Amino acid sequence: MTTIRRFCCDDLLRFAPVNLDHLTETFNMSFYMTYMARWPDYFHTAVNPGDRVMGYIMGKVEGQGESWHGHVTAVSVAPEFRRQKLAKTLMHLLEEISDKMDKAYFVDLFVRASNMPAIRMYEKLGYVVYRRVLRYYSGEEDGLDMRKALSQDVDKKSIIPLKRPITPDELEYD
Amino acid sequence: MASKFGLAGGIPERRVRPIWDAVDSRQFKAALKLCTALLAKHPTSPYVLALKALTLERMGKADEALSVCLNAKELLYSNNIFHFDDLTLSTLQIVFQRLERLDLATSCYEYACTKYSNNLELMMGLFNCYVREYSYVKQQQTAIRMYKTVGEERFLLWSVCSILLQAYFSSGGEKLLALAEALLKKHISSHSLHEPEALALYISILEQQAKYDAALEILSGDLGSLMGREEDKLRTQGRLLTQACNYVAASEIYQKVLESCPDDWESFLHYLGCLLERDVNLPKPATGEHTCSSCSVGSAMLNKTSLSEELVESRLASALSFVEKLQKSDSGDFVRGPHLAIIEIERQHRLNGKTNDRKFMEALVNYFHRFGHLSCSSSDVEIYLHMLSNDEITELLDTVSRSFDASSVSVKALGLTVTTFKVQELLGTFLSKSTADLQRTAKGMFETFYKNLPLSRDLDPQESMHGEELLSMASSILVQLFWRTRNLGYLLEAILVLEFGLTVRKHVWQYKITLVHLYTYLGALPLAHQWYASLEVKNILLESVSHHILPQMLMSPFLQQTASLVKDYLKFMDDHLKESADLTCLAYRHRTYSKVIEFVQFKDRLQRSMQYLAVKSDSVILSLKQNSESLEKVESVLENVNHGEGLVELSNEDNMKHLTFNEDLEARPWWTPTSSVNFLSEPVDEDSTPACFRAKVCKHKSTEKDGPKMRDTERKSLVPRLVYLSMHGCVSSLRETEPNGAVSDITVGEMRTLLEKYTRSIGYSMDDALSMILGMSSGKKSIKDFAPDIVSWMSFAVFINAMNLWSNESVIPRTDESSPTSWQIVDNLVKVCIEEHLTDANRILTCPGNNIPLLVQMVTEPISWHIIVIQSCIRAIAPQGKKKKKGGPSLRPNTPQLQGIQRSVQCLIDTLRSVQTWLSDQMSPEEHALDILLSHLQGTSDGPGQTFLVLGENPAAHASELGDLISKSLETWSSTGVVRRIVGAEHELLAEFKKMVDSKLKRLVSELASLSSVLH
Repeated sequence: MTTIRRFCCDDLLRFAPVNLDHLTETFNMSFYMTYMARWPDYFHTAVNPGDRVMGYIMGKVEGQGESWHGHVTAVSVAPEFRRQKLAKTLMHLLEEISDKMDKAYFVDLFVRASNMPAIRMYEKLGYVVYRRVLRYYSGEEDGLDMRKALSQDVDKKSIIPLKRPITPDELEYD
Repeated sequence: MASKFGLAGGIPERRVRPIWDAVDSRQFKAALKLCTALLAKHPTSPYVLALKALTLERMGKADEALSVCLNAKELLYSNNIFHFDDLTLSTLQIVFQRLERLDLATSCYEYACTKYSNNLELMMGLFNCYVREYSYVKQQQTAIRMYKTVGEERFLLWSVCSILLQAYFSSGGEKLLALAEALLKKHISSHSLHEPEALALYISILEQQAKYDAALEILSGDLGSLMGREEDKLRTQGRLLTQACNYVAASEIYQKVLESCPDDWESFLHYLGCLLERDVNLPKPATGEHTCSSCSVGSAMLNKTSLSEELVESRLASALSFVEKLQKSDSGDFVRGPHLAIIEIERQHRLNGKTNDRKFMEALVNYFHRFGHLSCSSSDVEIYLHMLSNDEITELLDTVSRSFDASSVSVKALGLTVTTFKVQELLGTFLSKSTADLQRTAKGMFETFYKNLPLSRDLDPQESMHGEELLSMASSILVQLFWRTRNLGYLLEAILVLEFGLTVRKHVWQYKITLVHLYTYLGALPLAHQWYASLEVKNILLESVSHHILPQMLMSPFLQQTASLVKDYLKFMDDHLKESADLTCLAYRHRTYSKVIEFVQFKDRLQRSMQYLAVKSDSVILSLKQNSESLEKVESVLENVNHGEGLVELSNEDNMKHLTFNEDLEARPWWTPTSSVNFLSEPVDEDSTPACFRAKVCKHKSTEKDGPKMRDTERKSLVPRLVYLSMHGCVSSLRETEPNGAVSDITVGEMRTLLEKYTRSIGYSMDDALSMILGMSSGKKSIKDFAPDIVSWMSFAVFINAMNLWSNESVIPRTDESSPTSWQIVDNLVKVCIEEHLTDANRILTCPGNNIPLLVQMVTEPISWHIIVIQSCIRAIAPQGKKKKKGGPSLRPNTPQLQGIQRSVQCLIDTLRSVQTWLSDQMSPEEHALDILLSHLQGTSDGPGQTFLVLGENPAAHASELGDLISKSLETWSSTGVVRRIVGAEHELLAEFKKMVDSKLKRLVSELASLSSVLH
């Protein structure tokens, strides 16, 4: 049992069990707060009955025309609460908000090309690799840009994979 | 920056852009050159001046930058400027802000807004200035002016937020809320509302005034459609209806929420609360308070309902049928909410007097059958488990254990095994088991982990292992065995278990955190620090996680590493407090009004952080420690902090009352629930029941605010000022030739006041404290009785001696000539305390929780302060003596004082030499130390060292089952290697300490020489 609610500042002081995970980046304050200030509907946390942070998702909505899309910046779950599809629930929430509230065309995310467990999970959730971004992570590791089309994109144009990999400077957004 | 070009104070964009580009790419010299060139053409352009100031500031030339800014400001104020644009002002604002002169930026905007009264852009700039200064009233007035100018909804909301901030941070909230409501109401009647956040704010204003019906009416009207998600709207409605005591309607609403979100536990509790017609106080930790989750969850929903028993039963029956319906509609096996709900409903039956225990038990058993393999299943039901009797617990565990084959190797069976252990851990069952049982259990856990390791063979190395928790639990039991038997072998084994786990998977943070504490306790601090460093704690985690390492480091001889921890933490906090208002501006700009309020509150919370306050003092004390052997450096440290005055001010009563506690204590091991408590240093209370022990832990967590940490913090904040006063007091007293009042701003009165505060924080009045140190130094009072604060007592004696030097009347009552002087009191106290700890401290290698941190503190604090006092005295006399002109006063002033100093130096030398010798004795050769430690692991068949027998000779022998990855990592495993590292780390700690003692001795020997030359 899980209560999902908007992420708030106080959660930053209680998300250590999630963020001590070595794959979860702890960003600087302005990063989190910018997300809270600009896209409060895209930043949610799941808490257990004791109000402990089980996991959270942060994201945004951006782009123009048919590239207006939701973006998953981070999704992470504390070890104690893994293997119960919590990430899936959080992803669905973000997809629903992108789809119904913001009428976005697709949702995308970046993942380390080596992070196979995550890639497999996103694939199960219906994401496909749209393109490879060369040396996206700290100029070293490649990133995969994965996408899932939403109801606006009737013909699923947004997820037709690009033939060639791109470099980070070709990315449309930060 | 592109948008900023165009109207650049009349300067063509092509001329300005290169400057911005140069600044952005950190080519400051080039930028400055361009500015100078442009200034030649436009000498009176405030914009170009602002750019120059910006560049100068980035180059670190703060003074020049300020002067250029002020020049630009003057030009703006003169009447010949036509281009009064926001670009110039905002550029100036950036520089002023970086120079921490927000007031100047504000006054520029204020001036501009007076001059061009209806310029929206300038007013927005001014509004932001007030946001940065936290001037809520002025924010409100500015926003209202903007609203009146253009009539836009957002400006009204800016004003409403500013009003709410006033209400939050000052008294008179009710009137302010009414004002905010009235403003919104008026606007809505003419313009309606268009933003979801505006609606949410309006509802919250009504709710805070208990106008629930009005809020509900708005929500169900046209405006209700602004709420983006239906569930959010329903939840708000449910909440408002509950508060309005309209339980029937509220429960129907919550049913709807649960139908679409069956796992929403909070809504379920509200639903049940409504059916039973009572308020549900869900556990929401008050801002900045430590709470113990197991206690606070338990207290929710405990208040009894006023309904009759029959009515309660019928309501619970309807809840049950609703929840069963929810269960049926769930196709997957992941929604736990409705299943837990059944347990909660059965609990309510129990609370209602109907003790149909079978059903409650059945519900729990069913829950474990369904979800028992999940990691969180035991903590899910923790509060319910505490309601069971011992027999019921046994029955529950038996039933769960019978439901699967524990000997099979499968993820599900492993999960269930882990859960049965976890239940016992949560309930504290292990506390009452025999030593032999515990040993078997720990061994069994390790065995199960190792046996099931093949399950993780195909997992990605980034993924967590199956059954990971078994090692944490085994280690925890081994620590308990150590606590009970004091057999060091168990502690080493507890470490080995976790190190083994980290050999298989190097990223398990739970293991690392426990190791941090185990290594600290064992005196192998460098290893604790290494594991902590591997967690890469940064940014906000510095506030919530630093408590795992910082307190230990502050008591260690590793001053440099500690300084770097402290520096990182303070930098994070200071930076955030500076930038926070900019983010509030961002929230205003994006109309996220809820976050406006939240950001300001959060900034306030961090600003009032207990840890922040403590570390500010720690940082100065640390610098003093690092530089204590050079008076010049000590002086410069003190000069940089306004001679410690600011720190004293920080710990004033008002500030201390409103501190927040932001540490996340959840991950701490059971034996050290807070940084000031370590159960392992206390004897085991054999009679303590698990419930008593739990209560004790909770108490420690929740009383942290009134506990010793608070008093420590207060005391620490006084130290830098006391050191400063001590130094300067000595100088004034010993320079007899100087007229009194040469240091007139320093008064004995201030020192007395501070020392009174100081002794109060140890729990004594000044007079009592004086007689205590007299008693201690003469051996009449036992040092042991003052043990926890002994370092503070010693420092107090040092400060008293310094004060005594320059006070007209002796601070210490002397009955006759044979009474000790204040120098002698310090000397004796130092000697007695150190000697006592040296005899007491056993070999640190085999005696965990030893006295080293205390000894280090004695040497780095009171002894350092005393050496500073001594040096100040000597400097006051010696150089002056040399410089004296002919016919001046005596070259040897105040001989008795000097002799006192000389004796004191000699005493310190003797005492530190005994520490030096003791340390050398402790540092036995590595191989010898290794043998000693290993011997603790090779005991009899019923002692420590059993766990690793499971591994046999070669843990990686079953390579085929374990898979390449795991067997490869296990090839590097060596328990002897781990023990060797412990020996090395302990040695490193001693060596560092010895280095410190050596350098102090060197200093003292040289002071002794200079004293001799003055005296003879």
